[in-house]
Amino acid sequence: MNFDELVGGDDLTPEEERKLRRVHDLLVQAGPPADLPPKLEHPTRPPEAEIVQFPMLPKRRWALAAVAVIALLLVAFAGGYFVGHSKPAAFATRRVVAMHGANAVAVLRVGHEDSAGNWPMVLEANGLTRQSGRGYYELWLTRKGKPVLPCGSFRVAKDTTTVRLSVPYRLQGFDGWVITREGAHDRGRPGPVVLTT
Amino acid sequence: MGVVTTDGELIQRAADGDRSAFEDLYRRYARPVFGLALRRLGDRGRAEDAVQETFASIWRSAASYRPERGPGAPWVYAVARNAIVDRARARTETPAEIPDEPAREAGPADRAEQSWVAWRVHRALEELPEREREVIALAYWSGLSQSEVAEFLGIPLGTVKTRTRAALMRLSDILGEDFG
Repeated sequence: MNFDELVGGDDLTPEEERKLRRVHDLLVQAGPPADLPPKLEHPTRPPEAEIVQFPMLPKRRWALAAVAVIALLLVAFAGGYFVGHSKPAAFATRRVVAMHGANAVAVLRVGHEDSAGNWPMVLEANGLTRQSGRGYYELWLTRKGKPVLPCGSFRVAKDTTTVRLSVPYRLQGFDGWVITREGAHDRGRPGPVVLTT
Repeated sequence: MGVVTTDGELIQRAADGDRSAFEDLYRRYARPVFGLALRRLGDRGRAEDAVQETFASIWRSAASYRPERGPGAPWVYAVARNAIVDRARARTETPAEIPDEPAREAGPADRAEQSWVAWRVHRALEELPEREREVIALAYWSGLSQSEVAEFLGIPLGTVKTRTRAALMRLSDILGEDFG
């Protein structure tokens, strides 16, 4: 294509003509842009976050737990996609923590710290048994594997339970999380661990 | 006219988990990344995979972007190039023998320069209003004459020229920093 035919005119200043010729040459040099395939018209959902493996976690146990957790993640992501992919995500995940136990698994999604220092979290547990009476479960941050700071409590009524929690702690100083089984009588003291990272 | 968010700002927001910023980046760069991958890999399927990998990498590593080191476009370009090179290395088939004849195509430096020009130009085209981008595409790459473009779009020839000139001016402003 010819520059003069495309845009040439007597009304251009030399500076304008120089700039337009430069762009014209770049367009010729670049060639046509590729047609985007329909598959790429929209971004796929960005990865939620990387699964964090805490240092305390023995590798072999992790491998076993990972299979179960990945299955849970897939169910959670697929469900989330079909339910809400047209709406902006209300919970931006910063990292995903996998937890496992004898007959249960859980995925803890940790969001972004707000300006006040709160960390929002969504815990999705699968396989925890419903407790009788006033029993409930408690999520803890651990140090050297021991539960040291409570992060919220919840009950379960069915196979999969999803709860939103928030903690105001700085998370850097901890090495993992556990979920304990609690009864009304031992409030404030960690009960037996049922899920761990 | 609203304030245009820079690529660097979008990358930083994506680093904070802002999905809408990530999607804006995608809209700006999906086509340039795909074009770059297609030229390098020569296969649409593998180029599509490279695009997916590029944007997954951008999402994962956006926090490593440092605005004080430069604008966002070269950073995205570097991420894309790495993803494409990884995909190219992953090819299982290798040439049976090395040809004796000297290569006729451009050398690595020329290819890199060519890729960078195409990258920046195609990225800049994404910022044009649709009606200007359409005129540029038809005028430069369809093989139609200006009169045929006017007839195709159903607009006067003068309007085609006006839009073409406006588009080139806009592109000049966008590309000024790199190619001024």
